[in-house]
Amino acid sequence: MYRGKEGQWAFLLHRLSGVAIALYLIIHVLDISLVMYGPDGPFNTFLAFYHQWPFRIGLVLVMAGVVYHALNGLRIIIMDFSEWGIRYQRAMWYGVLVLTTAIGIPVLVKVIPEIFGGV
Amino acid sequence: MQITVKIKRFDPEKDKRSRWTEYRLEANPMDRVLDVLNEIKWEQDGSLSYRRSCAHGICGSDAMLINGVNRLACKVLIKDLGNDIAIEPIRGLPVEKDLIVDMESFFDSYEAVLPYFINDDPVPAGERLQSPEEREIFDASTKCILCACCTTSCPVFWVNGRYLGPAAIVNAHRFIFDSRDRGTDQRLEVLNQPNGLWRCRTAYNCTEACPRDIPVTKAIEDVKRVLLWRTS
Repeated sequence: MYRGKEGQWAFLLHRLSGVAIALYLIIHVLDISLVMYGPDGPFNTFLAFYHQWPFRIGLVLVMAGVVYHALNGLRIIIMDFSEWGIRYQRAMWYGVLVLTTAIGIPVLVKVIPEIFGGV
Repeated sequence: MQITVKIKRFDPEKDKRSRWTEYRLEANPMDRVLDVLNEIKWEQDGSLSYRRSCAHGICGSDAMLINGVNRLACKVLIKDLGNDIAIEPIRGLPVEKDLIVDMESFFDSYEAVLPYFINDDPVPAGERLQSPEEREIFDASTKCILCACCTTSCPVFWVNGRYLGPAAIVNAHRFIFDSRDRGTDQRLEVLNQPNGLWRCRTAYNCTEACPRDIPVTKAIEDVKRVLLWRTS
């Protein structure tokens, strides 16, 4: 592994979160479209399937991915349009991580009881 | 101090894949990695191959991946690396033998950006004057020694060898921001190609790797902005 610094990890996480969001969206659209087959169709079966705990954890990760991708996207825009952004890219990345965590906490508060409660 | 040097070696006549070889030797903390490589080649294993020329950080021949980071072997001291040192050829370019890579495509990209002065205006009677402020704008990018530390540290270049790469863009920057030059349009046309400037994803590995402390990512972003405002 190349021992790059913050910029490399920011880039890698941006890519990974981007791919994760794209995959999630495809599954989500296919899944929702099953509702066309009516209440007796496969929609409810799939919905119950996605309520299992591994998918719940996946949901938390996708949520974190969406927030990270959006905030880091803003960091990239600032870097692209100002020299200030390049000078403070490292600090901005730590800011992105802190904000992503802060926004992730309420998601965890909502999802963790669901995982243990089997809701 | 006793050190262990692991070198990723490849002999095109014998090996199908590269292999790690370990050498143990006594080194002075103030030795450079290049001194250690010379010691190995001259005293232990004459078959070890690597490039070096000036040995003083100017020619840019001895770029290699040292302990996971691109560096010039002649500019890294053993005391800054510790007792275990791993050396690999720079990434993204085909390995010819041991630490020697084929730099052909790297120099093709360099040539593609027209890295020379272009100005067909009538030749003035005296010099083409430039203020210190105008010179300052592209000062950093004049320092490039074409060692390929930046280009071969770029994750985009590792997976897409046709990307022009940071070094070529820095050398385009050197002329695009030169107030005396008139070749900006030709260069921007090259940089606006699918494997040109826009492949940069601002991972900053190039900036961290540059042995000449050129703010490479900043230079790339400067050129991106010029191209953006010209084409919009």
